Parts: sequence; structure tokens; C-alpha cells
Amino acid sequence: MPGTESTGATGADLPDSDILRTCREASLRKRKELDQLLSRQIPGYTSEDTSLVVFGSLARGEWTSGSDLDWTYLIDGGANPDHFRIAQNIRHAFERANVEQPGTTETFGSMAFSHDIIHQIGGQNDTNKNTTQRILLLLESCAIGKRSDAHERVIRGVINRYLDEDNHPLSPDSKSYRVPRFLLNDIVRFWRTMAVDFASKQRDRDSKKWGLRNAKLRMSRKLIFASGLLVCFSANLDPDLQEKISTDENDIRLKLINHIRDQLRLTPLEVLKQSVERYGIPQAIASDLFGAYQEFLKVLNDEKSRKALENLKSVDSRTDPTFRKIREISTVFEGALDHIFFKNKLIEPLTRKYGVF
Amino acid sequence: MRCIGFSTGALARDDFRRALQMLTGKNVSAVELSALRQDELVPLVEQLDDLDLSTFKYVSFHAPSAMEQSFEPLALELLLQVAARKWPIIVHPNAMYNPSAWRRLGNCLCIENMDKRKPIGQTAKDLAEIFETVPDASLCFDIGHARQVDPTMSEASAILHRFRDRIQQLHVSEVNTQSKHDPLSFESILAFHKVSHLVPGDVPIILESKVEESEINGEIQSALNALSVDNALALTGD
Repeated sequence: MPGTESTGATGADLPDSDILRTCREASLRKRKELDQLLSRQIPGYTSEDTSLVVFGSLARGEWTSGSDLDWTYLIDGGANPDHFRIAQNIRHAFERANVEQPGTTETFGSMAFSHDIIHQIGGQNDTNKNTTQRILLLLESCAIGKRSDAHERVIRGVINRYLDEDNHPLSPDSKSYRVPRFLLNDIVRFWRTMAVDFASKQRDRDSKKWGLRNAKLRMSRKLIFASGLLVCFSANLDPDLQEKISTDENDIRLKLINHIRDQLRLTPLEVLKQSVERYGIPQAIASDLFGAYQEFLKVLNDEKSRKALENLKSVDSRTDPTFRKIREISTVFEGALDHIFFKNKLIEPLTRKYGVF
Repeated sequence: MRCIGFSTGALARDDFRRALQMLTGKNVSAVELSALRQDELVPLVEQLDDLDLSTFKYVSFHAPSAMEQSFEPLALELLLQVAARKWPIIVHPNAMYNPSAWRRLGNCLCIENMDKRKPIGQTAKDLAEIFETVPDASLCFDIGHARQVDPTMSEASAILHRFRDRIQQLHVSEVNTQSKHDPLSFESILAFHKVSHLVPGDVPIILESKVEESEINGEIQSALNALSVDNALALTGD
């Protein structure tokens, strides 16, 4: 909602465990801390046209002791040279507070503009950076501070753009919504881009942080991919949404936008939990899924293990005990996802139809 | 301390008593009594004698921002009662159907520069034409409107250069794309710094930001920072 902080993990509906609770509470605390820090140093750092958006573990409600901060100063308004200055001030405020943040040339840590994010979907001008900002804005972002108008508008604008390109939102008999294919394809493309970029970064950065990036790819990156697919599938599977189908073309689309927006307010773990409940996923599979993810968070929240992963070279990955643990955890996690996407009678046909060919 | 305060309409819409109550104990020395809608004018004027305004060094009165043409003569009669108190009366130029009739308010008439929505009154050129019809009127310089019309602040600069000596009071707030008054953002503060050296230091500041009571003092501080020449110089050099 405009004028309010974006939702993130509130913790009310997730499987409860010490580590999930710790990370959720740490995320909420950190977001508040960042807002207080910026409000002191840059009063009114956001406006109707600008939001400070955070991504990654902080937005997912999975903040651990060593997490770094991915942020962007999102602009959805008239061009103004002062925006750069404000983004710089934000960066300096974080630097002074010793907040670990990305370099200025990376995807985050500076300005992002709504026009590129909304209009440049596909085509020559949809850069890797633009795709990343757009998809993460949908799947794991959260606005910090009182003003989240711009964040909300851009998310709705992106969803609208995807749905605009789908000519027929309903099935031929008009009894159900179809899976929004353009959005789904972009999420799938992003997942593959992340996997390909993993190899590219390995080369560019001389394997620096290889272990940590590999672990994230196996777990948190895969989590947001899975949750993105489930959000798209929910357009077809959610009985409440199908009941709202009307005959007015505009109304049909607007209800779908609202549905997808509401789904994206959930964190990826909350999307998974909702799917487990709605689609009859066996309890044993749910336990594997969430249990493995909790183990992953424990590893990241442990300074020694996190450092071990950061320093690990790929050649040592078969013998390193921390990475072996990550491999075991991720095998269980992947097994649970396999079950959800390939064995569940509701989801499996959609995976086959939309997720592969 | 600079003379600064709030518009009652910003704090509590048509409930001016509630707005005055919200200002009690705050660091304010100015107030603008607001009758922004036509039907608010009669009750406000009728109750002026009952209001305790003793804590304010500066009081101004905001006339309805728009009215039916048939209401104009009555509005003028009521506003003459306000003018008898020597209070500046803030008027939107588009609200005057018969500008020459408004000359009766003499130098209490205070014309405000407008936001994008209004048909006239946004630019220095517009204001020059208006002041030709009401030559004794002063200017309420709405810096938020000026920024909305031209975010580079060059139009604001033109208005200030041309009408600096006419400025009776300032309106300060962030004016959003829907022309609503928001609390000041850092972006608007940076914009206001660009012309703060042109703003006379002794004119009262009336805030129009829509804020909660708990935010009043903070918003006053932001406005003072936005209009401080020292801060403008510091930011230029950082």
C-alpha cells in the first residue's frame, strides 16, 4: 500500500524454528535500524517518486549475521540530477555505519529507473542488470521507510506490462485463468541467467567467494525461482481467483494483477508454505523442504561456516566439510522441490507445460 | 528564531480548533487560518473572535481556493471583516471572478503562485499580469508549487527575483504529482536550497505539509534547514 512499508516476513505464518525466528526478527530490526540511520542523516530520503528498496536476505526475512546489503534508490518520477546526489548520500551513510554493500558498478548500490524496468523487458536493451533488478523487485524486495509509493507503483507497472503481452488471460472456456506465460518465462530466464552468471563470475573474480555463491545458488536462489514459478501457477490453481472471473476484459486483467501483487507480498518461504498447504504436499516433503532451508540458514548464520564458504576454492569442494554439509542440505532441498514440481498432481502438469518446453 | 507555523487546513482540514490545539506547546509563532472550501468560510469568520491566537506573532487567513461565482460578493464581504484585523488574506488567482472587486481588500490581499492543476498563476509572467489588476496585493510565495511547476527551480528563481519585495509570507511543503501537500522530502529540501538565498529571511513561513501532531516539530526543523542559506552553502561544498 502506498505510504506504508512493504510487507516482508512477519513471521506469523511460517514454520517456526529458532533460526527462522532469529533471521526474521533480525531482518525487521535491521530494516528499522537502516530507516533510523537514514532518517537521522538524510531526513525525507524517500518521496512520492522515490523509494529505498532492499533485496536479498533482508527482504526475504532471512538476515544472518554476515549478510550484506543490496539496495537501490528506485526512481519513478521526473528526471532530477539531485537523485544521484541522494543515492550518493545514502551510500555514504551506509559506509559510515560500516554496512557491507555492493560496489558502485554492480547491480545494486545506486539508482534504478522505473522506465527501463517496465519498458525494457526482453530485446537488446534489457541488460543483465535490468533483468536482475526487475525480477528481484518482484520476487524479493522491500521498501525501507515511510514512503513506499514508488516501489508499489513500479511493481504493479511491471506486473501490468507482463500481463499486457499475454493476449488471452483466460482459458478457452473462460472458466480459469491461464498461467501468465510472459512473466513465467522471464522468471525462468532469470534463473538460468543466475546459473550462467555463476560460471562467469567464477572466471571474472578468480573464484573469490565461490563456495558462498554456490551455496546460495543451490538454496536461496533456487528458493526464489521456485516461489516465482508457484506465484505464476497460482493464477491457474487458486480457486478464489477463478471464482472472481467476470466478463469484462479490463476487470479480468485487473483481478489478475491484484492476485499476483498479493502473492508477491509474501516472502518466498511464505509462498512455499502456502503452496504446501493449498496443494496437498505431504508433511514429510514439507519437513524436508523447510528443514533443509533452516539448516542452510544456520550455516550462513555461523561466522566460522560462512567464512569457510567464502574462502573455499572450487577444487576443494569435494573434501571441505562445510561444503559437504551444504551439498547434503541442498540435495534434500532439491528432492523436496522435485516432489512438489514433478509429483504433485496439481502442479506437475503445469511444470511440464510451462516450465520445460 | 524565524517566524514559522502551520496552516490549520494542513493539520486538521476544516477543524481549525483542533489544528490550533495541535499547535499548543509547539515551537510555532505563526498560523494561517484556513477556509479552503467555500462552506468553511462563514463558520470560520463567525468564530474568529472566540479563538485564542495570543501565542502567535503572525496570523494570516486563507480564502477559499475555489468558489461559485454567485458566492464571490458574500465571500468578499466576509473577507473585508478579516481585512479589518490587518491579517494578510491568501487568495488563489483563479478564485477571483472579478479581480478588480478584490482590490477592496487593499494590501491585505495576498496572491499565491499556483500549482500545475490551476489554469493561471504559475509563472513570473502570469503573476505580473495578475498584479497589474491588483497592484496593492502582496505575494504568498508557495515554494512547493514553484518546484512542482519547474523542478529545476529556475521559475522559482524568476519569481523571487521579480517579486521578492512583494513577498508577504511563504508556503512550504512538498507538492506531489496529484498536487497534494506532503511532508518535505530530502529531494525537495535540496531543491529549496537552490533558491534559499533569494528568499527574504524575515518573511513568515507557513507549513502546509500534512503531518501528524508528533511530526510537527520535525517538519518545522526540516523547513528551517531547507531555507537556511548556511545549509545551502554547506551542501554545495560537500
